[in-house]
Amino acid sequence: MPAKSVATQTPLLARPMLWGATWFVAWLGARMVLESASVPTWGRVMAALAPAPIAGAALYTIIRGARELDELEQRIQLEALAFAFVLAVLLLMTLGLMELAITLNRDDWSYRHVWAMLPMLYFAGLALARRRYA
Amino acid sequence: MKNRLKVLRAERDWSQAELADRLAVSRQTINSIETGKYDPSLPLAIRIGRLFGHPVEEIFIDNSEE
Repeated sequence: MPAKSVATQTPLLARPMLWGATWFVAWLGARMVLESASVPTWGRVMAALAPAPIAGAALYTIIRGARELDELEQRIQLEALAFAFVLAVLLLMTLGLMELAITLNRDDWSYRHVWAMLPMLYFAGLALARRRYA
Repeated sequence: MKNRLKVLRAERDWSQAELADRLAVSRQTINSIETGKYDPSLPLAIRIGRLFGHPVEEIFIDNSEE
């Protein structure tokens, strides 16, 4: 059972926060392109897909980083994700049912707004899990 | 599960951070174990036992056996 050092220097490109921030910037760029009326359809599709490879890189670094975490931090992350996953499923399911029940305003409840709630659920779960083990 | 980690650490006059460094875990992990909020994995419990020179069952006491 070799003990790994907790305080190791992580290379810049292996930092999940860097990729997360790059992903967010790519999303902002895609939104700007898509809100411009002069861009042709193929350009709009390319812009919509542009954040995906960056999200893939973010996912890769996050998974690699998770393997290096301390065991308590892994537990905290698991609880945060479990909390966020269940609430995300509940949110999407409820929105789907509400769509059948009433006419939802697409400016408020479209995918481009709802996805932003999912990271918030994760951070709420993270705060709860951290408080539990503090 | 109760444990004697805090007592054993105090006997050696180690801080939580120092013990965390020796076990290659975070200080929060040590704090959570000492306060009984978190039970360590078997590999970590064995490392703790080796570090203090005690069998794991002398450090971690299962409440259900009392």
